[in-house]
Amino acid sequence: MKTIAVDSLSKSYLVTEKKPGIRASLKHFVARKTSFIRAVDNISFNINEGEIVGFIGSNGAGKTTTLKMLCGLIYPSYGSVSVAGYIPKLREKSFLRKITLVMGQKQQLIWDLPPMDSLRVNAAVYGLTDREFSLRIDELASMLGLNTELSRPVRKLSLGQRMKAELLASLLHRPSVLFLDEPTLGLDINAQLRVREFLSAYNQKYGATILLTSHYMGDITSLCKRVLLIDKGKLFHDGSLSALTEQLSPCRFVQIELAEPVNDISLAKYGEIVHQEGQLVKLLIPRSELTSRITSILSNYQIKDLEVKDPPIEQLIGKLLALGSFND
Amino acid sequence: MIKYLRSTSEVFRVLFSFWSTSIASELEYQLNLVIEIISVVANLTGSIFILSLFYSPTTNLGGWSWHASLVVLGIYTILDGYTTSFLHPNLSRIVRHVQNGTLDFVLLKPINSQLWLSFRIFSPWGIPSILSGITLVIIGFINSQANFSIKSLLLSILMVLSSFIILYSLWFLIATTSIWFVRVWNANEVLRSTLVAGRYPISAYPESLRRIFTFILPIAFLTTVPAEAILNILSYRIAFLSLILAIAFLFISKRFWMFALKFYTSASS
Amino acid sequence: MIKLSKDLFKYIISWLRVPIALISTQYSLMIEYRAEIILWAISGILPLIMLAIWKEATISERIGLSDDYLTRYFVSAFIVRQFTAVWVMVSFEEDNLEGRLSPYLLQPLMPFWRYFSSHIAEQISRIPIVLIMLLVLNASIPNILWIPSLKTLVIFCCALFSAFCVRFLLHWMFSMICFWSDRVSALERLLLIPYLFLSGLVAPLDTFPTPIRNFANLTPFPYILAFPSNILAEKKIDLISNFTSLFFWAILLFLLSYLFWKRGIRHYSGMGA
Repeated sequence: MKTIAVDSLSKSYLVTEKKPGIRASLKHFVARKTSFIRAVDNISFNINEGEIVGFIGSNGAGKTTTLKMLCGLIYPSYGSVSVAGYIPKLREKSFLRKITLVMGQKQQLIWDLPPMDSLRVNAAVYGLTDREFSLRIDELASMLGLNTELSRPVRKLSLGQRMKAELLASLLHRPSVLFLDEPTLGLDINAQLRVREFLSAYNQKYGATILLTSHYMGDITSLCKRVLLIDKGKLFHDGSLSALTEQLSPCRFVQIELAEPVNDISLAKYGEIVHQEGQLVKLLIPRSELTSRITSILSNYQIKDLEVKDPPIEQLIGKLLALGSFND
Repeated sequence: MIKYLRSTSEVFRVLFSFWSTSIASELEYQLNLVIEIISVVANLTGSIFILSLFYSPTTNLGGWSWHASLVVLGIYTILDGYTTSFLHPNLSRIVRHVQNGTLDFVLLKPINSQLWLSFRIFSPWGIPSILSGITLVIIGFINSQANFSIKSLLLSILMVLSSFIILYSLWFLIATTSIWFVRVWNANEVLRSTLVAGRYPISAYPESLRRIFTFILPIAFLTTVPAEAILNILSYRIAFLSLILAIAFLFISKRFWMFALKFYTSASS
Repeated sequence: MIKLSKDLFKYIISWLRVPIALISTQYSLMIEYRAEIILWAISGILPLIMLAIWKEATISERIGLSDDYLTRYFVSAFIVRQFTAVWVMVSFEEDNLEGRLSPYLLQPLMPFWRYFSSHIAEQISRIPIVLIMLLVLNASIPNILWIPSLKTLVIFCCALFSAFCVRFLLHWMFSMICFWSDRVSALERLLLIPYLFLSGLVAPLDTFPTPIRNFANLTPFPYILAFPSNILAEKKIDLISNFTSLFFWAILLFLLSYLFWKRGIRHYSGMGA
């Protein structure tokens, strides 16, 4: 069953431009130059109930804009969105009860009070009974590994504890669709792992649909079977992570240690030699011919050691994100 | 001394470049200019109107003629603009620096940290107030038929300067306490709301308040004393007192800042 | 019948749950900020400063106002100002800039109520502070306080709360400008100017020349401050026409701010948060 259906979604903004310097400022003060920016450009995808989907792309690729359109904070310029059978931009109360948006760097908990106070307000806003409230707090707190932290002022909590409390506050009304924008931003490895485990447990327990963005590829690789890759507002990939790896890097990385030195030209026919030093040779071999070529290498040479590696996904996508764009 | 002056001039050279960027960033907001001009005009009209209420049946307020009171109001308006342009934006920045722990970056710069922090930003929005304040002072001065002399001009400039220094020191003292207290900003609101008393000549207040405004909260030296200098009715004794007070306040604020910094570095390490 | 009343009770309770939760949470927050609230309360001493000048000027008799009335008026104005303090423009702007507005909009509660309840909570926490300040005032100037009749007090409280609502709605309406411009604080200072001069904070409206007084009465400001102050000072005034004006402004501002809110949200969602 489709929980999220997005069809040719687009969003354009009007922005003002200004050159640096005081003269340009004065000019800008009198007459402004404006132009349109396409933040999201004709995106379509569907997400089924209970899926966890990773949403990746460089900064400013349009991830947050898309997330905000999905939860109804921003109206689309073009195209249609449906989430849990609702049109988000109407922001009906029954829709709002079904979803949640967590933004890693933005806090909704009241800074100078313990999280419990903010949670109580949330419980009243979402109309939970006292019983439901305490049951859910107990349950979510134990899943997140929180206890006394809930009665300490938010400003005294560590970043990780704060994020967990933030998650608790956002999930108190037990939403079935979760939009998470950088939920692990700035957290240390342990806290990241904790948040990941929690999200996966929540997903399994309630069959919730989760769409998350993250800069940490670890979040994506461990949680999401499916990823959406977006760049400059356009959707470039929708599918499994392994398919993305294949698309990004059609070759595999083979490292051979030969028993005796050989002439380098003889190995070149098996694949592109990246590096050769004495008896150590590093080759790139296309995935499709990997087995046949390795078999033939093994039968033609005396091999001491052989290792086949995937270029790590973090590196691939990290490189891609660092470049900002990969199609030009 | 020369070394100090040179380092000061160096700081100001750097500051000039910052002022131009802060003006540039302020000009981003067209609406602000309109709002600021309206607010200066409205504020001035209101103040003059209220002042006129005191004069409607009588002709003096605490021994001050209408035009002489206008000089006081003019000085007050100038100080208001000075606050908007320098004190408010810079000192609120100090508080933020302390809260975000970015004060370290400032302290690591090879310049006088107090001077740097106090005049880093220049907001152009105080200019309308300063200009209209000067206009008001001139109008009041001409109509009050006070004698003009070079000596009184110099004395006036000196008194205005010392009023600037006293006001600055008061603000800076409060901003410095942000090293210990988190939300010190509200203390400045208290200061600002009490300084409103400076709109009227000090002799318009009852004896007890007059004493408070002279010796505890030096409001008298902020507006009434410079106005007296301009109107050429200031006694040398009071003028001398004002200078002493300004120097003392500046010295205390500097010392207090040094003292607070010791606390800051030892607390945050 | 019993079931019906039980249901009704349940209904009312469920209706009150949100305000109770909001106000109690905001109250604990205000207790955290007690030092600031004391400072805010002190910064509201302007009417007392003005009282000093008015009394010293000894012109009161000549304009037909007794010294006694002037004292009562300014002390009342001081109290009214304390309990009609509004800072919603600042907090709304801050929430908007720091991105807290987006999560608020995703909750099934109109954000208006968050700000309204936080103001109510702050006023509750201000009561003891203002009482102490009044006692200090009475100690330094003996017999400055008076005991109003119960009837006066009840009418005063009604007028005070209505005045607060009008002032809050006025500021809330201007807060909506946040959706179009990032700088509302400048506008707040602008809004403070007519409040300062036309509300009767620095001078009773009776001292104004007639044309200016008539003009002031066309704005909401005198009803926000001078009207409740005059009630507490036990001056004879036309209650009905003043209350009518207050309600008129309340309704008008409510409708306008609701309109602005709708448009603002549409703009916000159009431009993105």
